[in-house]
This record gives sequence, structure tokens and C-alpha cells, in this order.
Amino acid sequence: MNAPSIRDRLYEPPGPKTRRRIAVFTVIALLGLGFLLYLVVRQFERQGQLQPRYWDFFLKWSTWRYLGAGLLSTLKAALTAAVIAIGAGFLLMRGKLNKNPVVRWVSVALIEFTRGVPTLLLIYFFFLVVPRMGVSLGAFWRITLPCAISASGIIAEAFRAGVNAVPRGQTEAALSLGLSNLRTFYQVVFPQAIRFVIPSLISELVIVLKDTTFAYVVSYADLMQNAKVLITSHDSLVSVYLVVAVIYILINYGLNKLSDRMARGGARTAAER
Amino acid sequence: MSLSALLSQYGDLYLQALLNTWRLTALCYVGAFAIGIVVTVLRVCPVKPLRVFGDFFVQVFRNIPGAAMLIILVYALPRLKIMLSYEMCVIVASVLIPSAFCSEHLMSGMNTIHPGQIEAARALGLTFSQMIARVVIPQALRSTVLPMTSLAVGTMLTTALASQVPLRPNQLELTGVVNYINSRAVGGVLAFAVSAVLYVSTALLIGWIGATIDRKVRILR
Repeated sequence: MNAPSIRDRLYEPPGPKTRRRIAVFTVIALLGLGFLLYLVVRQFERQGQLQPRYWDFFLKWSTWRYLGAGLLSTLKAALTAAVIAIGAGFLLMRGKLNKNPVVRWVSVALIEFTRGVPTLLLIYFFFLVVPRMGVSLGAFWRITLPCAISASGIIAEAFRAGVNAVPRGQTEAALSLGLSNLRTFYQVVFPQAIRFVIPSLISELVIVLKDTTFAYVVSYADLMQNAKVLITSHDSLVSVYLVVAVIYILINYGLNKLSDRMARGGARTAAER
Repeated sequence: MSLSALLSQYGDLYLQALLNTWRLTALCYVGAFAIGIVVTVLRVCPVKPLRVFGDFFVQVFRNIPGAAMLIILVYALPRLKIMLSYEMCVIVASVLIPSAFCSEHLMSGMNTIHPGQIEAARALGLTFSQMIARVVIPQALRSTVLPMTSLAVGTMLTTALASQVPLRPNQLELTGVVNYINSRAVGGVLAFAVSAVLYVSTALLIGWIGATIDRKVRILR
């Protein structure tokens, strides 16, 4: 069951007068939104963007296979970046919670750096400067590494929030049982923190996935790049970009839903304890 | 290129770029906030189609990648005979995407409001719009200062999209300026470091302002 949201608490069951007013407004709103939709469709129609030649190749299997291949590259880059970011984020979180002030200070600086700099700047850094330093990276790493760096700081903070959410008594109990600091963290605190962290890790994946759309900067053949090829071969820009945008939106929507669901599950088990 | 050489040659450009990033960020943040509030009101109003529209709006702009959005604005809209300047395209993208997140923050802020507040407002005879404007939105804002601070930083990061469209040198922002310098000289690591430092300082400044406001207005429960 969903927790009752504010939407349900804002009003009481409406009386007959209010019901009538709501009905009137519903009709007006429907007309207004319908008119908006009509304007959009009319604009498409007038500019000839509804012609079948712009849309019929979406019925062909080869189109989808091609977009699918691009999507696969996108997912590969996003997942690799996410895995690296989770590793780096974990290290940064350990650094920020470290007793040594130097380690702590360096970790905080790195976290603030990755959170304050746009991914695009990092991508240009890997594109323009890293090759000149004598490091030759393939297109895959030129998009994956900046996306990973960019996400690592936020992930470090997510880990830290998760660790802080574990009740203090857990650490105290483990320490008083004679566990070392390391074992307390890895065997008692962290396994419980993971439960709080997983939902935010999934929503980080959305951010990484969005960042990989800049892959065209380094000419990595992701979904966007393959879309560009389709556009040239079918001379149909509007329809292809719209379809690609919808693909991205649906994937990210699904990931966000998954994250919400896991967050609710985690909250429930936490409350049951 | 040494730091002093870089700054003496391009110092003014960096300063202009910093001001452009600030201007874009402030402008887009205000726009995102205004649209975010309107969409949130739609999402809680009793008229079902408006609610559905508000939810749809948020899901679209929350989930679309910035690059995809910008490409649609720059390349697809002109084919539909909707012409926007390059800068306008960046502004539209950097307003709409953060506005969806703004609305999400407001919704979760509203969920922290105690039901008694709403019952009290209703018992005092406030109309729905009075209740939203005087009870719900103010409290939702006060309990969402920190997420709204991250939103401001996020908006700043989104304005880096401006580096993806051709702009005049005096319109460049902090990411575009690095590109510009690198295409004319070997700016190397330093050219990036200057922009990165300016970005991070701005982010820290925003964070500090947010934390200060939060301490003042936070609702202690």
C-alpha cells in the first residue's frame, strides 16, 4: 500500500456543489488540453511531418535492430560507468568517514569537485587533454570515465547517508562485542546501509545514462549516434529524434519506478524492525 | 601555457564566462521555480485531467537527457517552423528539465506537512487556492530548502549545455570558454582547471547560501 499522499489529504470528499464545479472544470481542462494537442498535431501536419515516409521505416525490423544496437552500446557505457562510479564512490565515502584528517580533507575536496563540475567539462577534458598527455583511450573510455567521475561524488554522499541511517546502537553493540573497527563496518554497518543505498544507486544510473548522451562529442556509437545515421539515411530528423527521446524517457522512467519501489520496500522493512 | 599567461590572455573571457554562467543559472533557476510551482499546483488540484497533465510533464522532463532535449530544440523545432535562437534553446532546456525536479521536491515537501495543518486551514474556512498559497506552498518551500539548493547547482550544471551550440565569444559560459580556448591555443589542463575552480566555487557558494537559509527557515518538528 502507498502511504497516503498529500493529494488525498488536501480535500474532503466533495459535496454536490463542488462535484458540479469539478465536473465543469474537468470539461474545460479537457477541452484546453485537447486544443493544445490539436495545435501540436496541426503544426506537424502543416509542416508535412506526418507524411508516411517520415514514419513508415519504424515498421521495419532493421530500423529497430539498428536502434537496439545503439541502445546496447549506451547501456554498456552507462553500466560500466555506474560500476566504476560505485567503486570510486565507496572509496570516497570511506575517505570522508576516515579518522585521518588528510584523507578526510582530500576525499571531501574530490567529492565537492565531482559534484560541482558539469560532466561536459570532464568529457572535453578526456577528449582534448588526456590524449595530449600521451594516454590513448578508445571512444568507449572517453565517454565512460568522465561519466563515472561525475557520478562518483553523488554516490559517495548516497553511501554516507546510508551509513548514517544505520542506528548508532548497531556500531556500539558490535564494538562492545569485541569486533574490530573494520569488521564492525563491513559485517554490521555496511550490510544494513546497502538496503538504504540501493534506491539512490538506481536513480544515479539514470543520471549516468543521461550523461552518456554526450557520447557524440567523442564519437562513440551510442543510441544518439545511431539515430543520427538513421536520420541521414531516411532524411527524417523530427520523427527519429522524437522516437529516441521517448526511448530514453521510458527507460529512465522505468528505472525511477524501480528505485521508488525498492525505497518503499526498504522503508517498510526498516519500520518493521 | 602558464597560469599567468593564460589569465593575461583570456582572463577577461573567463570573467565574462563566469558572469554568463551565473546569469544563465539565475535566470533558468527562477524560470524553473515558477514553472515548478505551477505544475505542482496542477498536480494536486482536484481536476483529474490537469493532474494527469502535470504528472506527464514532470515524467517527460525529469527523464529526458539534456542532450536529447537540446537537439530536439535546436534541430527538430525549426522543421516545425518554430525558430528559437541558440541561446533561447539552451535556456528552454535548462528551465524545463530543472522545473520537473523542482516539482518533485515540492511534492515531497508537501508530504511532510502535517494533516492537522490542512484540517485547520479548512476549519478556518480557507478556500482551496488560499490553502495552497498560504499554508501548503510556504511550508513545502521551508522544508525543501536543501533539495532546492542542490537543484540550483544542478541548474548550473545543466547550463553547460550552452557549450553545445554556436555562440558569440561574449555569450560563452564556463564550459564553452574552455572549448574556445582549446581551439585557439594549447590551454591544456590549466584551461580546464580555471573553469573547474570557478564552477566548484560557485557550487560551494550556492551550498553555503542554501545552508544559511535552511537554518533560518527550517521547520523544527
